[in-house]
Amino acid sequence: MTAPAPPAKQPPLLTVENLQVEFETYGGTVQAVRGVSFSVEAGKTLAIVGESGCGKSVTVQALMGLVPMPPGRLKSGTAELRGRNILGTSQIDGLDFRGREIGMIFQDPMTSLNPTMTIGRQIAETLEVHLGWSRKKAFARAIELLDMARIPEAAQRAKQYPFEFSGGMLQRAMIAMAIACEPAILIADEPTTALDVTIQAQVLDLLGDLQREHGTAIILITHDLGVVARMADEVAVMYAGQIVERGSVDDIFYRPAHPYTVGLRAAMPSNNPDAEHRLLPIEGSPPDLFSPPAGCAYAARCPHAMRICSTHEPAPFVVGADHYGKCWLHHEKAAGGASMIAAAAAPPEKKS
Amino acid sequence: MLSYTIKRLIQGLITVWFIATATFLAMHAVPGNPLSGAKAMNVEIRQNLERKYGLNKPVGEQYLIYMGNLARGDLGISFTQKNREVNDIIREHFPVSATLGIMAVVFAALGGALFGALTALNRNKWPDTVIMLAVILGISVPSFVFAAFSQLMVVKINALLGISILPVAGWGTVSHMLLPSLVLGLGTMAYLTRLMRSSMLEIINSDYIRTANAKGLPQTRIFLQHEMRNAILPLVTVLGPSIAGITTGSFVVELVFAIPGLGRYFVQAVQQLDYTVIMGTTVFFGAFLVLMVILVDLLYGLIDPRVRVS
Repeated sequence: MTAPAPPAKQPPLLTVENLQVEFETYGGTVQAVRGVSFSVEAGKTLAIVGESGCGKSVTVQALMGLVPMPPGRLKSGTAELRGRNILGTSQIDGLDFRGREIGMIFQDPMTSLNPTMTIGRQIAETLEVHLGWSRKKAFARAIELLDMARIPEAAQRAKQYPFEFSGGMLQRAMIAMAIACEPAILIADEPTTALDVTIQAQVLDLLGDLQREHGTAIILITHDLGVVARMADEVAVMYAGQIVERGSVDDIFYRPAHPYTVGLRAAMPSNNPDAEHRLLPIEGSPPDLFSPPAGCAYAARCPHAMRICSTHEPAPFVVGADHYGKCWLHHEKAAGGASMIAAAAAPPEKKS
Repeated sequence: MLSYTIKRLIQGLITVWFIATATFLAMHAVPGNPLSGAKAMNVEIRQNLERKYGLNKPVGEQYLIYMGNLARGDLGISFTQKNREVNDIIREHFPVSATLGIMAVVFAALGGALFGALTALNRNKWPDTVIMLAVILGISVPSFVFAAFSQLMVVKINALLGISILPVAGWGTVSHMLLPSLVLGLGTMAYLTRLMRSSMLEIINSDYIRTANAKGLPQTRIFLQHEMRNAILPLVTVLGPSIAGITTGSFVVELVFAIPGLGRYFVQAVQQLDYTVIMGTTVFFGAFLVLMVILVDLLYGLIDPRVRVS
């Protein structure tokens, strides 16, 4: 179930292997994340895409130790940052890696900041805790960071409270806070979902620019393929708690290797005025994660499903360099299976 | 901030005027008057007295005279206690009630915040269960039961140890104050504990606490600077009315613990229809409570920046 090993490059910054997270509820055990493996390289953006409830947020929250336990539980898996374990702990060498090595921003900036603390203090706090800076020095740096995050009149703004900021500015302040200690990785959990479209573009531009300047790796959680096309280098498509396809952004858009990826593409609106096809929703709904199906989780909704799909879980079939799809159609006995996916993915559209 | 304060003070004055007027009217609606006591009284003596206290004048005129005196800060002379000014009674006995009340409020607020936070952090574990059981007792059992029960316990303990660890009743030293103020604040403490628990639970699960964790802040820092600060906001809101509840509730506790507070005089005055003392203490209590509510609102503005602006 592991991803194919990348050709000998520099070792990845973060490696996650076979992560499984469960939630104990009154109704039973929800298997939210069922064996997720991926790696992140320095300076690159990995987008994790999938619909609501597919486990993409739980995956990164588990890495950050933000899943409440109980009811959550780490069933298995490893996660290593530069070879050091970070799963099930918040510390490396007795120091909290969160905020220092890995920064994180969240979906709703309006509720993600403390309403009774000034923006500047909330940013400065991270510096005081991780770098041991004085209040004054940290606050001065907070103003610089706000300025970097393109907040006008940063010195005045730093003394204001979250309720005095707009949503887009709050998200930029969140970004300033997350990168305060210059972490190697920034996790952005649906960073633009709560923002309107023009503000989304500004926030994404900011993330891209900061990444270029500081060489930060970004793990971008989103369900918006437009955001993926704009930001990602690598893409992991998640479905029902598993990564069903993993590849470069071009692979995902031009050479999809899983019917679910194809389905997502067909359901994505286009701004091409010549495009004449209708938006095609994916029929049905995701499987019940209280008792996930024995075979491929997508089989019930898949237009190409075969008998084996509902009984045996497909292995990740490598279809190209750093590109795999968990689908039986790639098996040698499924003659012409891969070309079926390719045909379904046509007509190819321009990358937006 | 200053204009807001002035606005609130003017509103408070109007409230006090309403209280004074309502008390005046209510008292004159009660049958009888302080001079129709048990003692058979000569008609002439009675008329003399009525003239002396202005009771023979029409109610409207009495009201105007009363309001005029009130504006000058003169609450009049007691009808039943010879030559005793109401101002003197208040000056002498209110500090006792106020000390008792403030200590009770401090007990209630500190206890409520502490126990509430403790229950929320240990949700559904044994400290939560034990404290919430005590909270139900604290809310439902009236203070005179607690008063008598605590006296009994102290007597037993004193007898057991052979020395007096705490006095059972009376007033004077700090040790005298501990037991009655604890008893007086118990109901409010229980109520505040419940409030704090739900407020804290909401905040523990809030997005910004998740952010604080994602920033890698130490748990103590998250607790003190992020959770407590926000969780006590609802407590401060109800603190004003709580002070009202505690001060009015102090009558019973003062009686049980034989404390020379204002409450006792107030009850006595009502029984004897001592007009001036009833009016004086009611207006005074009213003004005191209005002032407390205003103070709490101003305090709230200091704690919650969102209130400061609007």
